[in-house]
Amino acid sequence: MNLSFADVGTGALRAALPLAIWGIGAAAYAASKRDGRALASARWSALITFLLVVLAALAMIGALVTHDFSILYVARNNALETPLFFTVISLWAALEGSILLWTAILAGATAYVAWRGTPALPRLATTALAILFVMLTFFLLLVTTPAADPFVRSEIVPLNGNGPNPLLQNHPLMGLHPPLLYLGYVLFSVPFAYAIASLILGESGDRWLVATRRYALVSWGLLGVGIVAGAWWSYAVLGWGGYWAWDPVENAAIMPWLVATAYLHSVMVEEKRRLLRSWNLSLVIATFALTILGTFLTRSGVVNSVHAFTQSAIGPLLLGYLVAIVVLSVGLLLWRLPTLRDAGTVGAPLSREAIFLFQNVVFVAATLTVLLGTLYPLIAEAISGDQLSIGRPYFDRVEVPLALALLFLMGIGPQLPWHGASRATLERQFTAPIVAAAGGALLAVATGLGGAFAVLTYALAAFVAATVVQEFARGVRARRTLHGEPAGAALGSLLRRNGRRYGGYIVHLGIVLVAVAVATSQSKTVEVERTVRAGESFQAAGYTVSFAGLRSVSEPQRDVLVADLAITGNGADEHLRPAVLFFPNATQAVGSPAIAAGLRDDVYTILVAYDTSTHLWATIRVLVIPMVSWLWLGGAVVGLGAVIAALPQPKRREVTRPLARAPATVGD
Amino acid sequence: MPRWLRYGIVFGIATLVVVLMLSFRRDPHDIRTGTVGKPAAAFTADRIEGAGTLSLSDYAGKVVVLNFFASWCPPCKEENPALVRVWERYRTSDVAFIGIVYQDSTDKAREYVRANGVTWPTVQDGDGRISFAYGVFGPPETYFIGPDGIIAGRHIGPIDEATLITAIDSLRPRATR
Amino acid sequence: MTRERALILVALVAIFSAVAWTAWPREATAAERVDRITSELRCVTCQGLSVKDSPAASARQMHDLVVQRVAEGRSDDQIRDEFRASYGDWVLLSPPATSWSGLIWLVPLVALAAGLAVVFGRMRRATSTVTAPPARELAALRERVAREEALDLPQTDGAE
Repeated sequence: MNLSFADVGTGALRAALPLAIWGIGAAAYAASKRDGRALASARWSALITFLLVVLAALAMIGALVTHDFSILYVARNNALETPLFFTVISLWAALEGSILLWTAILAGATAYVAWRGTPALPRLATTALAILFVMLTFFLLLVTTPAADPFVRSEIVPLNGNGPNPLLQNHPLMGLHPPLLYLGYVLFSVPFAYAIASLILGESGDRWLVATRRYALVSWGLLGVGIVAGAWWSYAVLGWGGYWAWDPVENAAIMPWLVATAYLHSVMVEEKRRLLRSWNLSLVIATFALTILGTFLTRSGVVNSVHAFTQSAIGPLLLGYLVAIVVLSVGLLLWRLPTLRDAGTVGAPLSREAIFLFQNVVFVAATLTVLLGTLYPLIAEAISGDQLSIGRPYFDRVEVPLALALLFLMGIGPQLPWHGASRATLERQFTAPIVAAAGGALLAVATGLGGAFAVLTYALAAFVAATVVQEFARGVRARRTLHGEPAGAALGSLLRRNGRRYGGYIVHLGIVLVAVAVATSQSKTVEVERTVRAGESFQAAGYTVSFAGLRSVSEPQRDVLVADLAITGNGADEHLRPAVLFFPNATQAVGSPAIAAGLRDDVYTILVAYDTSTHLWATIRVLVIPMVSWLWLGGAVVGLGAVIAALPQPKRREVTRPLARAPATVGD
Repeated sequence: MPRWLRYGIVFGIATLVVVLMLSFRRDPHDIRTGTVGKPAAAFTADRIEGAGTLSLSDYAGKVVVLNFFASWCPPCKEENPALVRVWERYRTSDVAFIGIVYQDSTDKAREYVRANGVTWPTVQDGDGRISFAYGVFGPPETYFIGPDGIIAGRHIGPIDEATLITAIDSLRPRATR
Repeated sequence: MTRERALILVALVAIFSAVAWTAWPREATAAERVDRITSELRCVTCQGLSVKDSPAASARQMHDLVVQRVAEGRSDDQIRDEFRASYGDWVLLSPPATSWSGLIWLVPLVALAAGLAVVFGRMRRATSTVTAPPARELAALRERVAREEALDLPQTDGAE
């Protein structure tokens, strides 16, 4: 029998759907009747469903690699000339493939919960498993119906496909950004499922939260790194020199991340003092709902954006799914609200739990602002028919003060004790950081940073960095006193044994790097645009840009017009080739910037215009962007910190050295 | 959680859902705000074919159809036959067609005009000022100016014969056919 | 005054001065005015980029028009209104504070105010009443949680 990739893929997905439906019933039955055999059946359903969906994804990759243009998705997103790397990652180049990837990850998470989650907490985890199966069924329905079926055949088999969208075959980061983002989005289903299970079962404990702490941290980390990867891709490919434009799809990704950050912190209060219960449930529900809203905004076509996925029937379905989730979870929460009693209250405003409460408020305000700003054009048009835009000027102006408030809270929160602090404690803790803040502010003014917000950013960044250094110093000192470890080993021990805390501090340092990078790059970018002939050069912020000429290059999948530039001065010696790309199936050419990246600044060059008839002149735009590389570095540090925080603690017991004298301070 | 907050959240979510449902009806590529109903901006521009310039004021009192086009624009090529046919129908009357080149070189525009049988006057909008004055988002766009000099209507995207004829006829009150 | 307090005071003064120094309103140069205006105008052929950021041809032409208008001495509002007349409010990347849509500027303030009101309200109620549930209630809560968790321990009869 001649099995094509489409047959394998379609068959696998259509076999997975009934298994997932079975899984709902099996898991629900196992949870309510405590039936071991039903649970085993649910587990095997989960595993086999996962394997089937992975098989379908592999089949799609196979179809792409073998250029099977009888499949509509392959014909639209692949061409014979497309390089292998971009062929493989075309799996997520468009709607149907992305939903397939999403489904695969969700199936994986379901299987993981089925096998690793249920033994520890049989009733709670099995109920959560049933909920995960419901979600999985929805997505399997999407990929087996015309809404998002990736294996739809076309009647006429073209000789060659369209090739991926020109913007998607420019940069290897396309291989990283979507999978990271989807992993982040989808893995949040697990804490959400546990939270809903906890509400359904009417539990008054915190087990759901403790059980899913690591899932939440891992998804948050992946989502955060995915967003930074997206910003980096945007910077390297879109050719305008920026990395964040508050585009609706960018907003769709950052909203769940903001709420997830609030959630990660807020759970510490619940773990430590059994407070903020309803907050944490609300935050988890909000995070998950925002991931679905984000997917809806990206895929339904209701907002026009860079990502501009085509409109399809999936829009109403995703909206329906979102509505169902929100109505059911908010309903459950309101129903169980009386049983969610906090074991105490937040009293003093200057205590760690109060700071966490404030950060909840600020993060939610920031998220609401992004949400309403993104949707406001839709609302205004629905009401009055007028069209208006809400873009960078609005978002920058409202989000920056909120971000500064968060930086401030980030600095004082970890330093304040639980239950409250005395004035003497405050003075002792914060003298050095405030002095550091002054240093930061003065440094900002000295380096010519314009704008009060940039100066405040430097001040707060120095403040937070100083508090983190203080914390590490204190921890190292304590370990040296108690265990006699040398400083280096002490640092290592802190990270291993108390990874959650010190990994968290490293995340904070990463955020500080990002804040400084953003403030510096936004405030001190120099832009120069010149029209030059071959052999001419011009100056930009201390660099000399020499234009050698234009030349045409033919590649299998595209024609390229390249401007040869030599960058000298300021210790640089680079050759940059900004270009314009012509793809056979696109009506307009795509600009491709050339970047010389460095720690101090990036030299970003764009071929803006050129002499179409004789290629004698070209208009080159050069941006010298200081410290933008620190953004990507900061993102990596955040990821590193998340990894350290997520690693399981070593279980060895240590022998402590008898104390010669009592330590000066007692840590938390 | 205080009661007002609870109800506020529920109300907010309900509004959000209604808005998202309503937004399905609109096409994000359809941007309607513009210069319709306002006096047509005067301009003087260089001709593509032949020497000299052309001014909008040369056609005062006539019905004027302004068509923004470019050689790199496939829908412009698609709509061109309709424009040619309608031009043939009205060229001897009080209706004027003017083609305005959008973001294109004069040479390429001239090639396009000759290759596609464009016989009505065409001008170059080199610095984009004419496009901005009329509120053009991208070619092809067609504007209908009445004899009173007011922009009576606009069509975004490739236009067809029927739409052209209906629009032109509606602007010819004392038609001498 | 203790040494710490003195240092803190000096540091705060330094920070305040630095912020005031950079925030002091200055007459904007023509180039700065052009930058400010073009960063608030939407490029009509792009997906939401400002005229300042976009390298597209139409954006560059709009930029040149703004440069000319600034040189002619028009005010920021006049220049914006010229584009609004052609493209409507859509061409402004942030709604003018005076229009109905200007209400959007209030959103973050309202959200913060509402959140802080809720939080401070809880805190005030907390300090004025008993700060923790009575021990009896707390013990009952703990017992209930323990019972629920005991229900969920793995069965010993072989079924998982």
